Amino acid sequence: MSTLRRDRSHGWLGGVCAGIARRYGVDPALVRLAFVIATAAGGAGIALYLLGWLVIPAGDAPGRRRLPTGRGAVEVALGTGLLLLSILLTFRGLGIWFSDAIVWPLVLIASGAALIWRGSAAVRPEPAPEVGVPGASANRPVETPAPVVSVEPRRTAAAVSRTGVGIALVIAAGFAFLQATGALDAARDVGLALIATVVVLGVIFAPWVLRLLRSLTEERSERIRSQERAEVAAHLHDSVLQTLALVQRSDDPQQVAALARRQERELRAWLAGRPAPGQAARLAPALEAAAADVEDNHGVPVEVVVVGDRELDPAVEAVVAAAREAMTNAAKFGGRSTVDVYAECTPGALRVFVRDRGPGFDPAAVPADRRGVRESIVGRMERHGGRARISGAPAGGTEVELVLESER
Amino acid sequence: MRAGPDIRALVAGLAVLALGGVLLLDALGPIDLTFAVIAPVASAAAGAILVANGLSR
Repeated sequence: MSTLRRDRSHGWLGGVCAGIARRYGVDPALVRLAFVIATAAGGAGIALYLLGWLVIPAGDAPGRRRLPTGRGAVEVALGTGLLLLSILLTFRGLGIWFSDAIVWPLVLIASGAALIWRGSAAVRPEPAPEVGVPGASANRPVETPAPVVSVEPRRTAAAVSRTGVGIALVIAAGFAFLQATGALDAARDVGLALIATVVVLGVIFAPWVLRLLRSLTEERSERIRSQERAEVAAHLHDSVLQTLALVQRSDDPQQVAALARRQERELRAWLAGRPAPGQAARLAPALEAAAADVEDNHGVPVEVVVVGDRELDPAVEAVVAAAREAMTNAAKFGGRSTVDVYAECTPGALRVFVRDRGPGFDPAAVPADRRGVRESIVGRMERHGGRARISGAPAGGTEVELVLESER
Repeated sequence: MRAGPDIRALVAGLAVLALGGVLLLDALGPIDLTFAVIAPVASAAAGAILVANGLSR
């Protein structure tokens, strides 16, 4: 019991249910259901919850247990249901009871709501911005945003089944309540009137509603396609086009061959969905590797200082890719001055500054067909929920600031 | 080194003991075993065994 803590970050009120679920590795919905049913059976749930709020300290429990899955989860759910049923029957036998017409429908509604809640959480699709190419440093191919159905059909089918059972339980609760209160006949008349109204309104408004739904679907698809195109364009700009530019400038056949081989390896890895050869897994080494690449390609020193570190995810990979592009621009147009890179990683945000001491430039004056700043830096950051700012550095030259706020 | 107790067997044994206790009380007379009494006891026993089994997987 020493590791039982209230989990306020995942809780709805004081985190008592979430903490118990976290400690014992059961679904929080089951624990909440138990408290709701105990409340319905005579108000004991409220008292127990308040007692837990007072007695259990808040904080992160270090000994988190893994949630059971598959048959284990079914057994835990059934077992918890039977335990709750025994509590209800005991309260009923002792006379601590509101009414059969209230408690049993409430139990059915709570059970159905828990199942519907779990089902909706399981089939929620991934957000659109996460499906694109993370960036040049990531070297991954474009992945078509696949719904959960095609990735984990069994899991989705189970979630749909749970939702179906949940809906059936809620409907059964409604019928049970109406039957117990003698209002079933009146409800049937109202239900028929409601169905007739819905059918009439449906016939009238169906064309507009269908058109609206189709339009929303097409708009979403177009947005995803547009993001994918932008990511592919940014990747090709940062990798293939940069290499071709270097090849044109080089007089050394051996260097040209080496550049071509490296680009080929990167491109093959990207097309196959593999990490690029030597790709780092954390921010600091990834930034240092990008700086080393820029140094090798352009012969300009790049000084990197990283405060803090974190693992790479698609958004952080995008920051590294944008920083790499900023370093490349600074090396190419910064008057051969040293490029300074400063990255600061805090729990709240990741900030990367890339500075040079060159003549500077006006971002608004960049031609529309030049994609380096517009797509590879600004667009890439925005697609991954961050932002980029390009301005004159205090000591002259250009400063690119990349900011990625952490999700709360 | 001593192995820890088998939680599944422990819970199942306790549940059977509880059921046996109830049946014994019924036989001796202190309680009158009706459906209202046996239903919650049986549900609790089955529920405890299932929960212990599920958590032990």
